[in-house]
Amino acid sequence: MLKVKNIETLYGLIMAIRGVSLEVQEKQIVSILGANGAGKTTILKTIMGLLEDQPDKGTIEFMEKRIDGKDAEEIVHLGISYVPEGREVFPELSVDENLKMGAYTRRDKRGVKEDYERVITHFPILLQRKDQWAGTLSGGEQQMLAIGRALMARPKLLMLDEPSLGLSPLLVKEIFGIIKTINQEGTTILLVEQNAKMALKISDYAFVLESGRIVSANVPSILLQDEDVKEFYLGIRSEESAKGYQRWKRKKRWR
Amino acid sequence: MFGQLIVSGLAVGACYALLALAMVIIYKTSEVLNFAQGEMAMISTFIAFTLLDTYHVPFPYAFAITFLFAILLAVFFEMVFLRQAKDPTVLGLIIITLGFEMMLMGFVGWKWGPDQRSLPFPVSNIETYNFSGMIISKINFWTIIVSLILMFILFLFFRYTKMGIAMRATQQNQLAARVMGIRTKRIFSFTWALSSMVGTVAGMLIAALGVLDPPMMMDPLLKGFASGVLGGMTSLPGAALGGALLGIIENLFGGYVSLSFKSVVAFAIIVLMLCIKPSGLLAKHYVKKV
Amino acid sequence: MVKKNLFGVGLLAFIFFISAPASAAVRGVTDTEILIGQWGPQTGPAAPWGAVARGTDLLVKMINDEGGIHGRKIKYYLRDDSYMPAKTKAIAKEFVEQIGVFAVVGGVGVATGMTARDYLMENKVPWCGPVTGVYEWITPIQKYLFAIYPLYDDEAFNLTGYLYEKLGYKKIAMFYQNDDYGKQGVMGVERYLLKHKIKLVEKVSAEVTDRDLSTHALKLKNSGAEAVIMWTMPTHAALILAETAKIGFKPQWATSNTLSDSALMMGITKGLWAGMINSFFGELPDSNHPLMVKYREAHKKYAPQERWGVFYYAGIIFAEPFFEGLRRAGRNLTPETWISAMETLKNWQGIGPPITYGPPKTPMDRQGGKHVFYGKVRPDGTIERLTDWIQITK
Repeated sequence: MLKVKNIETLYGLIMAIRGVSLEVQEKQIVSILGANGAGKTTILKTIMGLLEDQPDKGTIEFMEKRIDGKDAEEIVHLGISYVPEGREVFPELSVDENLKMGAYTRRDKRGVKEDYERVITHFPILLQRKDQWAGTLSGGEQQMLAIGRALMARPKLLMLDEPSLGLSPLLVKEIFGIIKTINQEGTTILLVEQNAKMALKISDYAFVLESGRIVSANVPSILLQDEDVKEFYLGIRSEESAKGYQRWKRKKRWR
Repeated sequence: MFGQLIVSGLAVGACYALLALAMVIIYKTSEVLNFAQGEMAMISTFIAFTLLDTYHVPFPYAFAITFLFAILLAVFFEMVFLRQAKDPTVLGLIIITLGFEMMLMGFVGWKWGPDQRSLPFPVSNIETYNFSGMIISKINFWTIIVSLILMFILFLFFRYTKMGIAMRATQQNQLAARVMGIRTKRIFSFTWALSSMVGTVAGMLIAALGVLDPPMMMDPLLKGFASGVLGGMTSLPGAALGGALLGIIENLFGGYVSLSFKSVVAFAIIVLMLCIKPSGLLAKHYVKKV
Repeated sequence: MVKKNLFGVGLLAFIFFISAPASAAVRGVTDTEILIGQWGPQTGPAAPWGAVARGTDLLVKMINDEGGIHGRKIKYYLRDDSYMPAKTKAIAKEFVEQIGVFAVVGGVGVATGMTARDYLMENKVPWCGPVTGVYEWITPIQKYLFAIYPLYDDEAFNLTGYLYEKLGYKKIAMFYQNDDYGKQGVMGVERYLLKHKIKLVEKVSAEVTDRDLSTHALKLKNSGAEAVIMWTMPTHAALILAETAKIGFKPQWATSNTLSDSALMMGITKGLWAGMINSFFGELPDSNHPLMVKYREAHKKYAPQERWGVFYYAGIIFAEPFFEGLRRAGRNLTPETWISAMETLKNWQGIGPPITYGPPKTPMDRQGGKHVFYGKVRPDGTIERLTDWIQITK
């Protein structure tokens, strides 16, 4: 469904993405894992067309159509929605207005209404809060609103950037449960996460990103066996090695 | 005396309020203070004058053409000057508006000359209505009515239309707005167009209240700015309230305290507000995350 | 060493002194040309008064077409100072140091002219006819400065007398602009009333930038004045008439000759100007005075794009005596011969007031214009002349 081939993205003179290729199959949940600053968010922003004149090199195809170089409006229209890191709700719009903005590019009133119902069934709390300013919601509620808002565009592919950021473990669980449900209802999901444990639990496939490069890619069950993934993402430490230098080397590889 | 001071304060306050609204619409979206606001309104009013006085176009048509001109002028300015700025800072953009102000001033001086003129207007500026003893001049009455209607339309627009909500969304979070598929550049152009239209109504009313000449907007624009500061530069109802309040305060001060210091009231209010409540009376303060 | 330097300086000074008369060049005067300059606001809020400087240009063109004065053509430099004193000063310097003019003619504005006055006087540049009627031009008395414009103070004094004695208005109020111009008007009005031991019923001032005069109008109305004298700019005159009309206050208005452009005033007041009692320092626009007929023809020929308004031909009024001085000075033109010639003007009249100068003993010897006449604006905008020239300055 989404094919990213060898993209390179520049931030000014700094190359943030150095030749990344990845693929998302329809109906899947695909995760991109990686440390802070590895370039995960940049990949999503590049796909979304939010970075002007980027990608510098490489191609992005969505549903057999080139989308690199197009602007965000067209990409939303083609069926990709993006939930940015840190929620980014409109703080001084009501919850309802935020949701309305999610459907900004759509003209079919009836469809929008259906999707509104769907969002409300996923996140009943939003109905209670519908006239409140989004800025007054709690972190978890804002994340729900951000996801709901993205769903209002009726996306074929939903890209989520760090949905667990700053949430309590209980809420994280709830959010991921809902993500799974959304996926089961037919929406393909591309997920960027630092919380690898949670992400791998629901993913069909995952990429590991380091300094703007893919260093590993596989189905979760195999990635979970990977020593590095275990150590640096899942917090499962292998026994203290006597050869300290070896650990240091590994660390370097991941940082 | 008191009643008259209030009524005429409200009428002039309505003009301040419209100018404040025009400034606030732009300020909210881009934090740019548009110093060309007054001159943009002034040149549009001169267009209206030419249509009415030279070509004898009926007022409704002349008004429509003037509106169209105001829109084109604003969009032209936004696209040709502001958007081209490389790595713009807010201060840089403000200075661009200052430059544009001077260009417009020079152009009007060259095209229409410096003489004062009177704008043909459907409402007389000397006839009066008598509402059971309360005398109000027709132009004051209609200035207040037109301003109220315009404010109400703006309120409905920002509250209920998709475009209006999208404009507010863009103001609050540009990145998220783009993610929603909102063409933010187009929103900026539209913001300027809307602001220019509101300013033009103010310009025509001010010219109809007094005389039309190139410097006619200098004082009102300053007062409009003061109204914005008073009511809150980020709040549309605040700007409207600020304008009405300033008009009344000014008139009461002139009537009962000192006429010679009347024009200082606006400055005093700016300073006072910046000391006491910089966000203004009605602005709800949402602290931006860094 | 010091001595040697002193000697050098002395030598230089000596050479300078003996060479100066030898070259005999008078600044701004050549065999074929006389250079003169004028500043005036062509842009900015005071731009309507910029027409004065363009009116002078018309007279210059006429004179040059008739062959100039004693074989010399007039070269006229017009500079825009936007009514900003800092610019005026720079223009004065340009006139003297770069262009090298013989004289400055006209020049609108008190604050603007004041920044240039001392500089011009120090450089012995003749200056004829600053276009404002304030005392600053004649006190202290200046050898090179010849004022023409009738004094605002005396004009207001006399106008008040006209209202009080001739027309019988006892309750008089004043509306004025809060600057030098307006204040000298107030001074004259109050001086007159003090003499008759009465007071103004109300005195209302407006700042130059004010655009809302509703409160001012209310104050005037509440004073119960029968007549109101206004000393303002055209914009404020129009605003106050509209505001007072709104609240039904219709006194007899009277005003200074600075607002005597009745065609303009009728337009911007939508006819409210009718009935105004106005003083005038020059012939009326449609006057049959032979010079006016001649000037109107020249206007059609040289500058048909200009409106034949009072400000425009004021540019002629304030330049006529200067050129008369040039004629009387003869071919041997220096500032001194020109001054002597000017001092021979006795009741000399062009289209402005009769002009009289004398050797500078009292300030009035440099105040050329001492007369105005009164007129009343008819509903069609023309003027009904009420009096002949009246001497207002003794």
